[in-house]
Amino acid sequence: MPEINLWAKDGYLSTPDGNSIYFWGFAKSAAGPAQLPGPNIIARQGETITVNLHNMLAEPVSIAFPGQQVTVEGQPVQPQYKNNRLLSFVNYAEPGGTVAYTFTPSHPGTYLYESGTNPYQQVPMGLYGGMVVRPADYNPDVPEYKTAYGAGTDTGFDREYLLITGEIDPDLHQAVENGKPYRVSKYVPRYWTLNGRCAPDTMLMDHVDYLPHQPYGAMIMGLPGEKILLRYIGAGIDNHPLHPHGAHTRVVAVDGRLLRNGNADLSYKRFTVLVGVGQTYDQIYQWDGLGYTPGNPIPTVLPNLRNMGVGDAGWTMWSGSPYLGVKGDIPVGVVSYNEMGEYYFMLHSHEELQITNWGEFPGGMMTMVAIYPSLAPDIGVIG
Amino acid sequence: MAIVARIFQAAAGFLSFPGANAIPFWGFTEALADKPQYPGPLIEATAGDQILIWLMRNYLEPIVEPISITFPGQENVLVRKIPWGPFIYEPVKPQYAAGKMISLTNYLDENRDILVEYSFIASRPGIYLYESGTNPEKQVQMGLYGIIVVRPVGYNIPGHPNYKTAYGADTNSGYDVEKVLVLGEIDTVMHNNVVPNVYYDMLDFKPDFWVVNGRSFPDTINEEQISSQPYDAAINCRVGQRVLLRIVNAGFQNHTFYLGDLVGRIVAEDGMPLKTQSLDATYEKTGTTLGSGQRIDIILTPATPGEYYLYDREYQHLVNNDQFPGGMMTKINVR
Repeated sequence: MPEINLWAKDGYLSTPDGNSIYFWGFAKSAAGPAQLPGPNIIARQGETITVNLHNMLAEPVSIAFPGQQVTVEGQPVQPQYKNNRLLSFVNYAEPGGTVAYTFTPSHPGTYLYESGTNPYQQVPMGLYGGMVVRPADYNPDVPEYKTAYGAGTDTGFDREYLLITGEIDPDLHQAVENGKPYRVSKYVPRYWTLNGRCAPDTMLMDHVDYLPHQPYGAMIMGLPGEKILLRYIGAGIDNHPLHPHGAHTRVVAVDGRLLRNGNADLSYKRFTVLVGVGQTYDQIYQWDGLGYTPGNPIPTVLPNLRNMGVGDAGWTMWSGSPYLGVKGDIPVGVVSYNEMGEYYFMLHSHEELQITNWGEFPGGMMTMVAIYPSLAPDIGVIG
Repeated sequence: MAIVARIFQAAAGFLSFPGANAIPFWGFTEALADKPQYPGPLIEATAGDQILIWLMRNYLEPIVEPISITFPGQENVLVRKIPWGPFIYEPVKPQYAAGKMISLTNYLDENRDILVEYSFIASRPGIYLYESGTNPEKQVQMGLYGIIVVRPVGYNIPGHPNYKTAYGADTNSGYDVEKVLVLGEIDTVMHNNVVPNVYYDMLDFKPDFWVVNGRSFPDTINEEQISSQPYDAAINCRVGQRVLLRIVNAGFQNHTFYLGDLVGRIVAEDGMPLKTQSLDATYEKTGTTLGSGQRIDIILTPATPGEYYLYDREYQHLVNNDQFPGGMMTKINVR
């Protein structure tokens, strides 16, 4: 039986504008850093899993697994009371204590896990993470069985990414750090995160050593025509309308439930998905291109390079060429971060205030979808 | 088909919230009943019934501005008015004064009119709001709203194919336990200004209490009682029973109603069943976001005994006076 250990700890988040923010998060080991979001939990449909929560914070902490039937010591989890007052939606661990949650996922899909104790504070503080349940027949080596919801469900994918939305109100975090009271009604987010990072940090690779508490990147990379599975999770307490520029996604499942009744396919295409709080969306993104190759020229005339505003900020993701896999000239003085003629499409919250870091654009809930001419097979693997 | 006739008045009253002083509000009341209600009186009907609502002048405590009722989702609502007419039914329409729209529908002017009568055929089963159509940015928030449940013919006849269904046979909407949950919010500053008729700028709207069926947790799980907040929100069922939650967002904010650890099947949205003869488009969710004025019917079947909390996943709404637990939260007891 797979066993996962999570330690609830504190730490400091880093934002691109140089702020360092106290937070609470789950760590993979007693000595490891608390991380935002918590470690990805990968489970398998029908396989019983135990999650041991070790609480190293100074107040009770718990984990709720929405959509799962969870037991603690053989009994279903239950709300907990202290002095007749609701303290926690589920069984919790006292400071220094441990609680073991056991469940057997009955459905494949994407799920949130989050604190069920003082959730108005502990969830925004960072005690949340994502869980992926593989279908019982999942086999990544056989394309037919590399699916989100099982063979024959039209949910096959080539690469997959988890994108967990969140918000940060620095005042809340500072009040908690200093043990000061915090009025929930004053909640005003100033940072908006994907996988715990604000843009442009979202576009960095996983596990970069200068973001020890934010190990997960949010850059989406794939090849033309590939099926890219985007798993959105709304972990904050605000809704966020996310879309990738220039392409639709096909929503195949919500809250870990396949959108299909018998033979009826209920999946649907969306340009923008309103990521509701506590909810999950499994989508397949496919960029097929428009057939642009040097042998099939674009039937428009691009403006003269001197008339194009390439890299107003001094840098660009553009390759200098409209053709995939081709790099061309860019204006003198502009730095291109384009590696090999890949295409970049922004993916962001359409509440544009949220693509700032405390009001300064660019930042916040924004990343890129990058279509590469070639890409290593180990890119786009959730670990 | 029957006629469901109700006589309503609008009246001012007081609401009670945990840890707060009595908060003034406006609510609908059955005529001659002593207390206005929040939400308004529940109207129950069977598909095909004619619903007649008389909105009567309140001579004792008028709220001193025009009032009206709109019925979102109902077609062909007719109106007549005493004593100034129209005397024969005509379709409701927006009302203007000096070129300015002052009401989304025909209204009762308590200085002139004695009553205004709204009439329509409740042709489709489902769950519907009724709410003020006059100064709705103020009057709806002040409490002038309620719920209409329209049930399919035969819902109460054992052996009938529609027996205990929300939308009729073969719509995946069979249930054993039914509960209406109305979501809303209260800005106490606004309420305390509106009743003495002090101007309140709705751009300052900032709720401080969040309610299910007019109450904030833990009042939501107290029993039904004779007060201005008569409807409780607690749900009781046995293992394996199908619980039909009819959730209506009567507030101004969006709310994500979360089913705790339970998973529900959404069988209807905005009073429209998702299963038809040709397509079953019902789907399962652990929580769902309702925009203002939206309604949803969810069926859940708890498999293990115990307690589960159902709540707004926007956790900042689970407080009373900034203290957790409170707000838009209720409980289901599974025996």
